[in-house]
Amino acid sequence: MVMTIARKELREMLRDGRFRALAVTVFALSVVSFAAGWKHYTDVERQHLQAQEATRAQWLNQPAKNPHSAAHYGMYAFKPKSRLSLVDTGVDPYVGVAAWLEAHKQNEFRYRPAQDRTAIQRFGELTAAEGFLVILPLFIVLMSFATFAGEREQGTLRQLLGLGVARRDLVTGKAFGVAAALALVVVPATLVGVATLAFTSEFSGLRDDMPRAVLVAIVYLTFFATCVAICLGVSAWARTSRAALVVLLAFWFVNSLIVTRAAADLAAWLRPTPSAIEFQRGLERDLAAPEEMRLRLERRRQELMRQYNVQTMDAVPINFSGISLQEGEERANDVFDAHYGRLFETHEAQNRTLQWAGLAAPMIPVRSLSMALAGTDFAHHRDFVKAAESYRRGIQRVLNDDIARNSKPGVAYVAGPALWAKVPEFAYTLPSAGWALRQTAPSLLLLVAWCVASVWFASRATRRLAAD
Amino acid sequence: MLEAIRLTKRYDDVTALSSLDLTVRPGEVFCLLGANGAGKTTTINLFLNFVAPTSGSAKINGIDVTSQPLETKKYLAYIPETVMLYKSLTGLENLEYFAALAGRPDYTRAQLLDFLTQVGLEREAADKRVGTYSKGMRQKVGIAIALAKNAKALLLDEPTSGLDPKAANEFSALLAQLSADGVAVLMATHDLFRAKESGTRVGIMKQGRLVRTLETTEVGHGDLERIYLEHMHD
Amino acid sequence: MLNTILRHEWRSLSADASVWIVVAVFAGAIGYGTLNGARWVAFQQEAIAEAQQEEAERYQRHQTEIVRINRENATVSAFSDPRNPDAVGRALGARYAVLPPTPVAALSVGQSDLLPYYFRMTTDAKETILAAAELENPHRLLAGRFDLAFVIIYLYPLLILALTYNVLSSEKEQGTLVLTLSQPVSLRTLVAGKVLLRFVLFMGAVGFLALMALVVGGVDLGASGVAPRLALWAVAVAVYGLFWFAAAVAVAAFGKPSATNATALAGIWLVLVVLLPSLLNISATTMYPVPSRVEMIQAMRVASDEANAEGSTLLARYYEDHPELATGDAQQAMNDFNLIRVAVGAEVERRVRPVLDRYTRQLAAQQQVVGRARVLSPAILMQDALNDISGTGTARHRRFMQQVESYHEQWRSYFVGLIFQKARLQDYAGLPRFAFEEETTAAVASRAAVSLAAIAIPTVLIAAFAYTSIRRYPLVG
Repeated sequence: MVMTIARKELREMLRDGRFRALAVTVFALSVVSFAAGWKHYTDVERQHLQAQEATRAQWLNQPAKNPHSAAHYGMYAFKPKSRLSLVDTGVDPYVGVAAWLEAHKQNEFRYRPAQDRTAIQRFGELTAAEGFLVILPLFIVLMSFATFAGEREQGTLRQLLGLGVARRDLVTGKAFGVAAALALVVVPATLVGVATLAFTSEFSGLRDDMPRAVLVAIVYLTFFATCVAICLGVSAWARTSRAALVVLLAFWFVNSLIVTRAAADLAAWLRPTPSAIEFQRGLERDLAAPEEMRLRLERRRQELMRQYNVQTMDAVPINFSGISLQEGEERANDVFDAHYGRLFETHEAQNRTLQWAGLAAPMIPVRSLSMALAGTDFAHHRDFVKAAESYRRGIQRVLNDDIARNSKPGVAYVAGPALWAKVPEFAYTLPSAGWALRQTAPSLLLLVAWCVASVWFASRATRRLAAD
Repeated sequence: MLEAIRLTKRYDDVTALSSLDLTVRPGEVFCLLGANGAGKTTTINLFLNFVAPTSGSAKINGIDVTSQPLETKKYLAYIPETVMLYKSLTGLENLEYFAALAGRPDYTRAQLLDFLTQVGLEREAADKRVGTYSKGMRQKVGIAIALAKNAKALLLDEPTSGLDPKAANEFSALLAQLSADGVAVLMATHDLFRAKESGTRVGIMKQGRLVRTLETTEVGHGDLERIYLEHMHD
Repeated sequence: MLNTILRHEWRSLSADASVWIVVAVFAGAIGYGTLNGARWVAFQQEAIAEAQQEEAERYQRHQTEIVRINRENATVSAFSDPRNPDAVGRALGARYAVLPPTPVAALSVGQSDLLPYYFRMTTDAKETILAAAELENPHRLLAGRFDLAFVIIYLYPLLILALTYNVLSSEKEQGTLVLTLSQPVSLRTLVAGKVLLRFVLFMGAVGFLALMALVVGGVDLGASGVAPRLALWAVAVAVYGLFWFAAAVAVAAFGKPSATNATALAGIWLVLVVLLPSLLNISATTMYPVPSRVEMIQAMRVASDEANAEGSTLLARYYEDHPELATGDAQQAMNDFNLIRVAVGAEVERRVRPVLDRYTRQLAAQQQVVGRARVLSPAILMQDALNDISGTGTARHRRFMQQVESYHEQWRSYFVGLIFQKARLQDYAGLPRFAFEEETTAAVASRAAVSLAAIAIPTVLIAAFAYTSIRRYPLVG
C-alpha cells in the first residue's frame, strides 16, 4: 500500500516538466557551488601553507641579532582553511586571515576577505550549504505543497479515502514518494560533493575529516526530512493548495531571511559588542601600570636574590633584563586574557542567543551545525586564535629565557640561527568533530526537536485530513 | 443598430462562426437559438470586441467595433449569463461605478435608486452587499446599468437560465419595456418559450451558421419547437 | 474615468483584510529597520565621540605635563617625553581620522559595519594603521542587518507582487472583468488605474513611515544635504517599485490564472533577489579572485627586510627596539637614533610601496569587473544606489581611505621635519588635523543615477512589452 502510493507520487513528479526543469537547475547549482568551493579552498589553502612556510623560513634565516630584536620581528600566523569549508564557508569571509605574532602585543587577525570585496558579498555566497539550506527547501516546497491540498481540489482525495486507504499509509507513502524524488537530486549532488572532497586530498588529512563529512551529511538529511514533513503537514492542513503554497513560502522567507537578522539584533541588544575604541582604551589603561610593574619587578629581584642566596643583584648569575622582559610579557598576557577573554565571551554569548533562536526556525540549528562541522564558525576561529597566541607566548619565553641565561647586563648580545631554531614550528590541528558538536549542543538539540515536531505535526495534520 | 456583415471567426481549424449576416434594428428583440458551441456566444463576444473577427465586420450604430471599440461600447450594454458584481460593494455602489465607467459619473443617489426600482429591485436591497443577492437580483442590476448608460443596444447571454418563473416573467416585462423604448436587443438563449414570448425575430444557429430566421408572429410555440428540433437533427 | 477606477480600486482594496495585513507587516518592518539603522548610526557617533574625547584628554594631559617638565626642568625618558616629536608622532600625539556618518546613514547600514570608519593616525607604517577594524561578531556580519535597505530590497518587491499578481486575473476569475470591459474603458486604462493606485499607496506608506521612523530615531531632517538625499532615496524607491509593478503587469498580461501568476512572480523574485546575487558573487570571486593579501604581507616583509638590512648597524637596530636600554648621552643617542629610524622607515616605505600599489591596482580592477555584473539584478543595483545615497557604500569609503592616506603622508612629513630639526614641541596646536571632505551631492546623485538608470531601462522595456501584450489579453476562455 505505502509503496504503491510512493511509486505513484514519484511517477507523477517525474512526468511533470516543471519538476524535471527544477531538478536539473538545482543539481546544476549544486555542482557550480561545489566547483567554486573547491577552487576557493585549494587556492587559499595553498597560499596560506606557502605563506606559513615562508614566514618560518624568514624566521630561521634571520641574521644574528639580539633575541629581543627577533621577538619584535616576530612571525606571522596564517589561518588554515578547513577542508569542509568548501561545503560551508561560514564566517571565513568575515574573520581575519593573518596575525602578526610580535613581542608585547596580542595583535588581532587582520585582512578580512569580505573587506576587499564589493557590497555584493553581503547577499551571501552560493556555497553548497546555502544551496542546501535555501534552494533545496524551496524545491521541496514547490514539489510537495499540493500533495494533499491538490488532491483534495482535484477530487481524487475523496476517492482515495472512500476506497478505504488509511490516512497513515497515505502520508507515509507520499513522504516516501517525495523523498525518492528528492533523492534523485540530492544523491548525485552528494556524490559530487564527496568527489570534490576527494579531489582535495593533495593536502593531507582527508581521513581525519571523514567523521565531520559524514556528520554534515546526516545533519542535512535530517533537515530535508524535517522540510518534507512540514510541507506535507501544511499541505494536509491547508484548505486550498494556494493557501498551502502561501504559508510555506512565507515560512521559507521568514526562515531564511528574517530570523537570522532579527536574532542577531536580539543577541547584540542582550550583550552589546564594545566599540573598538572602547576596547582599545580599556586595554591601554590596564596595560599601562608603571607602579604595579615596578613592584612586580622588585618582588622578582628579591625572589632571585633569595634563590641564589646573594645580597645584590650583581651577584645573580642571570641577566635580569631577560626576567624583566618576561615579567612584562606575562603581565601583559594577563591583561590580554582578561580583555580578549571578555570580548570573545561576549561574542560567544551572542552566538548562543543566535543558536537558541533556532526555536523559531529550523534553518538556524542546521546552519550552526553545518558551520561548526565545516570548521568555519566563531568557536573554531577562537580556537585557532588561542593556539596562535599560545605559540606567540612560547616564542617570547624561549627568547627571554635565552636573554636571561646567556647575556650579561650592559653588554651587547646577539644570538644566531641556533636560537631561532629552538622555537618549534607552529602546528595546528583542527579540533575533533566531537568538540565541534559540543560547542553547538543547543543546535543539535533543536534540530532533533524540530525533526520530531515536524513529523508529529505531519501525522496529526493527516490524521484529521478532510476529504474536501 | 446592431449589424453583422459576413462576420467570421476561426480558431485554428475550427470555425466558430461562419459568415454571419445579421441586422437588429432599434426596438427589435432578436433571439439566437442553438446548441452549445453553435456560435451564439462567439457572436456576442465579437460584438463586444472581446475576440477579433477573422473576416467580416460587426457594427454598432454604424460604427465598426474593431476600429473604434471604446466608441461603440458607449451604445452597448452587456448582460452575461451570470452577472458577477463586486461582492464587497452594494448594488447601488456597483451601479454607480459602472455608470461612471460608462461616462455617467454624475448621477445622484436618488437617480441611481430610481434606475434600480425601474428594473424591479427592492428598495432595501439596493444598499445591501451584492454578495447577498440572488441571480435574478444581480441580473436586474445589470439591466439597471444598461438603463443608466442609456444604451441603444443590449446583448444578453442566456438571461433566463437559472431564474425561477416569477423572475423570468419580470425579466420579460423589462425586455418589452426596453424594446418599446427603442433598444435593439440581441439575445442568445435556449429558452424557446421566452424567445417566442419576448422576441420579435428568431434565428437558429447550427455549427457556426445562421440556418433559419423567422418572425415570431408567424409561428406558434409548438411550431417553433418543431422547426428548431428539425434543424438540430441533421 | 481614471478617477472612477482609482476610487473604486481604493474601495476594493481597503475592504480586503489581507491588504491591511500586508500594510501592517510592511509598516512594522520599515519602522524596525529604520530604527535599527538609526541605532547603528548612534553607536558609530558615540564611538567617534569617545575617540575624540580620548584624544582631547590625552592632549590636555600631555600639555600639562609639558608645562610641568619645563617648569621643573625635569629629566624624562625620551620614550615618554611629550616634547619629543618622535614619541609624539608615534603615540603621544596620535590623532583620529574619522569618517562621520552622513545625516541619512540610518537609511542603509551598507558596508559601514564592516569597513573601518576611524583610524588612529601615527607615524607607523601605513599598512599597520590601515588594517584596523571594528570588533563586530563575525556571525553578525554574516547574518546581515535588518535595516531599511534590507526591507526595501527584499520585502518591498514581495509585497508589491502580493498585491499586484492578481490585478487582472482576480477580476477575470470572479467574473467582473467582462462587465467592466463592456463599458467604454480600455483594458490598458483599467490596468493603469489599478497599478497607479497601488503605486501611490506603496510610495505613500514607505515615504511616510520612513520619515516618521527617521524622526523617531533622532535624525535631524533639517541638516544640510539631507533634503536632496531624501529626495534621491524617494526616487530610488519609486524606480525599484516600478520595476516590480512592470514585471507583475507583464506576467498578468499573459492571462494565466492567479495561482500561476503568483508562482511565476515568486520565481522571478527568487531569481533576481536571492539566487542571482549570490551566484554572481561566487562566480566573480572564483573567476576573478581578489589578489591575495597573504602574498602581499609576504612581499611587504621581504621588502622591509631588505630595507632594514641596508639600514643601520646592529647596535642601532637594537636601540631602535629598546631605547630605554641605551646608555650614555641619552639625548644625543636619541636624536641620532631617531634619524636613523626615520631613514630606515623611509627606505622601507619606498620598497614596500610598489607592492602595495600593485595590490591596490589589482583589487580595483577586480572590483570593477565584478561591478559590471551587477546590472543583471535590480536588487544589486538598488543596494548600490541605497548605499551611495546613505553614504555607506564602498565608493565613499574609498574616498575616505584616499584622504586618510594623504593625511598619513602629511603627518609623517610634519614629524620627520621636526625630527630632522631636532626640535622640541611645546604644544600640540600645530599638529595636522583631519577633516573628511564630503563628496558633493552632485557626485552622489550621478553615481546613484547610474544604478537607477540601470533599473529604469529594463523597467521601461518590460512596461512596453506589457503595454503591447495587454492588447492580446484573453478575455474569454
